[in-house]
Amino acid sequence: MIGIRRKKRTNKKRAEPLLDTELKKDSGVTRLIHRDEGELDFFRKRAFYGAFVIIFFFAVLITRLWFLQVQQGEKYSRLADSNRVRFLEIAAPRGNILDSKGREIVTNRPSFNVVWVREDNRLDDALLKKMASILETDVSELLARIRKMAGTPGHIPVRLAEDIDWEKVAYIENNRMNLPGIKIKVVPLRVYHFGNLASHLIGYLGEINEKELKSSNEGVYRGGDLIGKMGLERLREKDLRGEKGRHYMEVNALGFEQRNLKGVEPLSGNDLQLTIDMDLQRAAEDIMATEGKSGAVVAVAVNSGRLLALASAPTLQLDKFIGGISHKDWQEMLDNPLHPLINKIVQGQYPPGSTYKLVTATAGLAEGIITPDTIMYCPGHYRFGNRTYHCWKRSGHGAVDLNRALSESCDVYFYQVGQRLGVDRLAKYARLFGLGRKTGVEMEHEKPGLIPTAAWKKKRFGKIWQEGETLSVAIGQGFDLVTPIQLAFMTATVANGGTLYKPVLVENVRDPDGHVIERLEPEIVDRLTGQGRNLQLVRKGLIEAVNGRHGTGRRARLQDMDITVAGKTGTAQVVRLKQYKHLKEKDIPYKYRDHAWFTCFAPADNPEIAVTVLVEHGMHGGSGAAPVARAVLEAYFRERVKAGEDINIQIIQGGVPSHSKQATDTGRTGEVRKNVAF
Amino acid sequence: MLRFDRRLVHHFDWVLLLMLLLVSGMALINLYSSTWNGGGSVSPALLKQSYLFCAGLIVILLLMAVDYSEMETLGYILYAGIVVLLLYTNFFVHTIAGTQRWINLGFFRLQPSEPAKLILVMVLASCYSRKEVADGYRLRDLLVPGALTVVPFILILIQPDLGTALMLGVLFVSMTVFVRLRWSTIGILGSLGAVAGFIGWKFLLKDYQRRRIETFLNPEGDPMNHGYQIMQSKIAVGSGKVFGKGFMEGTQGHLHFLPERHTDFAFSVWAEEWGFVGTLFFLSCYFFLLLWGINIAMTARDKFGVLLAFGLVMLIFWQAVINLFMIMGFLPVVGIPLPLFSYGGSSLLTTLLAVGILMNIRMRRFLSRQ
Repeated sequence: MIGIRRKKRTNKKRAEPLLDTELKKDSGVTRLIHRDEGELDFFRKRAFYGAFVIIFFFAVLITRLWFLQVQQGEKYSRLADSNRVRFLEIAAPRGNILDSKGREIVTNRPSFNVVWVREDNRLDDALLKKMASILETDVSELLARIRKMAGTPGHIPVRLAEDIDWEKVAYIENNRMNLPGIKIKVVPLRVYHFGNLASHLIGYLGEINEKELKSSNEGVYRGGDLIGKMGLERLREKDLRGEKGRHYMEVNALGFEQRNLKGVEPLSGNDLQLTIDMDLQRAAEDIMATEGKSGAVVAVAVNSGRLLALASAPTLQLDKFIGGISHKDWQEMLDNPLHPLINKIVQGQYPPGSTYKLVTATAGLAEGIITPDTIMYCPGHYRFGNRTYHCWKRSGHGAVDLNRALSESCDVYFYQVGQRLGVDRLAKYARLFGLGRKTGVEMEHEKPGLIPTAAWKKKRFGKIWQEGETLSVAIGQGFDLVTPIQLAFMTATVANGGTLYKPVLVENVRDPDGHVIERLEPEIVDRLTGQGRNLQLVRKGLIEAVNGRHGTGRRARLQDMDITVAGKTGTAQVVRLKQYKHLKEKDIPYKYRDHAWFTCFAPADNPEIAVTVLVEHGMHGGSGAAPVARAVLEAYFRERVKAGEDINIQIIQGGVPSHSKQATDTGRTGEVRKNVAF
Repeated sequence: MLRFDRRLVHHFDWVLLLMLLLVSGMALINLYSSTWNGGGSVSPALLKQSYLFCAGLIVILLLMAVDYSEMETLGYILYAGIVVLLLYTNFFVHTIAGTQRWINLGFFRLQPSEPAKLILVMVLASCYSRKEVADGYRLRDLLVPGALTVVPFILILIQPDLGTALMLGVLFVSMTVFVRLRWSTIGILGSLGAVAGFIGWKFLLKDYQRRRIETFLNPEGDPMNHGYQIMQSKIAVGSGKVFGKGFMEGTQGHLHFLPERHTDFAFSVWAEEWGFVGTLFFLSCYFFLLLWGINIAMTARDKFGVLLAFGLVMLIFWQAVINLFMIMGFLPVVGIPLPLFSYGGSSLLTTLLAVGILMNIRMRRFLSRQ
């Protein structure tokens, strides 16, 4: 229809121009004027339609404004408020860690990090280059850090540099107007007063990762926070972390603070006092380190389960973890053949070797299979079935009683005890000593070890237990696996007369005001009842093992301190390869050498401390591990001996069942004492 | 040649002048708030804008004496001049922030792409008013107007200033649709436009331009940059609620959360401080001004007048709609100011000239051509 109308008009128009053209005289200028009224009308009408377009958009805009300002005004109002008030978190100083004598092991110092708050300002090329030159680093390094944070919300700061020096802090503070979005963040950093001592125990801090951030639903963490990654720093995170402070700041979009509104001061974390004595710890780690040994040392107070020293060698380089460990350092640790990252105290599982004879002996006595006077003949080997089981001393020990069997570690004696006991009865006593189950110490990834039973083998391999295997188990080989801390508590249980304590290493927890909010209570896990006399017989053998003329652990003696040590050596076979059988010890490649055990307690007559040492590939307990134990014992008694205190008199004063000085002396000279009272 | 008719004074468009003063007054009040720097003094930007406004007002009132029909031919001369200026800025002016847009005139930095829009409207109006095509425009009839648009379009596009370049396209389309097109022409142009759009997106857009559009489609993907700006603008507008936070009390603007708060996002400041009541009042004035412009087009004495008035209204209207849509989160961030309201000399002068020409057309509605 419109088309038709148009046509009509156009037809009219064609004729019109001539008619409408007229001469205008009043202007003084003659011009041709188009008077195309028809087309003019058409355009005017179209202009009128234009008005509808304008009104339509006006309506759209007003509707949108109604929606934004009236309908959703409250929501945007809240957003605007949170926009201009930003709360800044202030990191709380972490709790300190002290040793048993109150010495600081780990404390804090302030450090200055440079961060970029992305929502405050875009970091353009110029600013990036400027920052790189201020921080004396590469642009690519900064970019890598920024890229790592991609995808996280813009208010979470990106760290550009950690722990910068004072000059840089001053420069950045003075130029803050030229560095929008860049801030200095004060962060408490850990200071390790004892260097790398007790590193596996204390652990280290690291930047919180995505997983940890998600799993902590308490909302106390933010990206970039430091969190305990290992050891007590991790396990006691809740005690140590404290509460962050908050400052509410009115800021502008460039992140510059306009006004300080109100705030909550940060609350320091709680202090941990450990049962660890850093003197013992140092003694243990020093000797392991100077001899380049890999292994573990555990010292425990036998009457409470307090851990006095806990060393895993080699140590971690704690200072390398401050502010995040570099990839190179981490790889280096992973590649180290001595495995510093493994906490051998609880994660290392080794055959107990001859130290297991404590279990076999106790079980034999308790089950009435042997008496102290039972004599067995050791020709250097023992035939069982169609196999020959050798004693470590190929020439044989001859006639052996319990005392000699323990002190000279006669394998043939214990083969026979084990054979008569059977594997299940052995396992029962092993478990009472805490073997084959986790001790529950506050350390991560603890391994339970392994104490085999017939049922276990059936379940695990689907095969019946062979009696011959019991013989291996009886001397701590075969399937037996223990961790150093388990052996330490086994020894402590023998020393204290049968009480298995739970290992503890936090003496108390104090809040920042010094109030004790958690105090250690010794906890008994199990008790070997009615075995007082039998354990005493075992102890006698152990005294002989250290002090006897043929004792295997003579290197642990503390003769110049006048203190009797009782202990047992052990050798954990790593492999039995024929090709190495006839080699000299020093020719065997390191990784095929046997592990050396030594476990002991002192003073022998009224034990206070038990020390267990494992030296990986240390060959022989007596030579490889006993000197380490001796160093720890020496450190333990040193000050008291120096002060002129007679440890033995101390015992009498302590009102514990007494024995004469002479008894101790005789013990030291290696004679069998008959008057030990317990 | 200059002849002053007393009837002109009689027919002076007081309504349009009043609306112009109202809108500009609000713009200056808003500029005072958005450029307030905490001190007691008036900001240099406000002073500059006020001087330019007064100067521009005087210029357009003086230009009233010239009949707008002079532009029918004058437009082409101006067009040639602006093309030269654009070429000059593109090839001889140093880069500012990656784009070449300004010519420094000493007292004033001219952005030639702003008057280019006005001049394009003039030449298109002139072009279309001369031609009479009975059955609507065929494709070949559009060759000349098309070419007239494409030259500055490309020159501005390579500056690069996509927003202003597209604005030229929008003006061309508005005015070409306004004069009659054949359906076949519409079909061909539509499909050509679609193809050009596709090719442009694929090959011609700069990265940052593509990113802006992608950001708009998915604001969460880029919360820091353009999505952030839009978000802050929406917060500013929304948080004004019904009655606003009060003059000088806007937190979004004063705490620098709003980007470009006295130029492209000036209206966000207004909306935050004056609320829905203020935005309703402002937009009513603004759109009344535009509708009045349509009225001028409808009462113009000749075809050129109608086309010119309509084109000028479209020039202001589309910039306003695009700017307001951006502020309210309907469009991605494009560098289009709100005419008369955003700070910026070139835009202000161009818009004042446009309003002046509208007044000129209005004033001469009863006069026959001289």
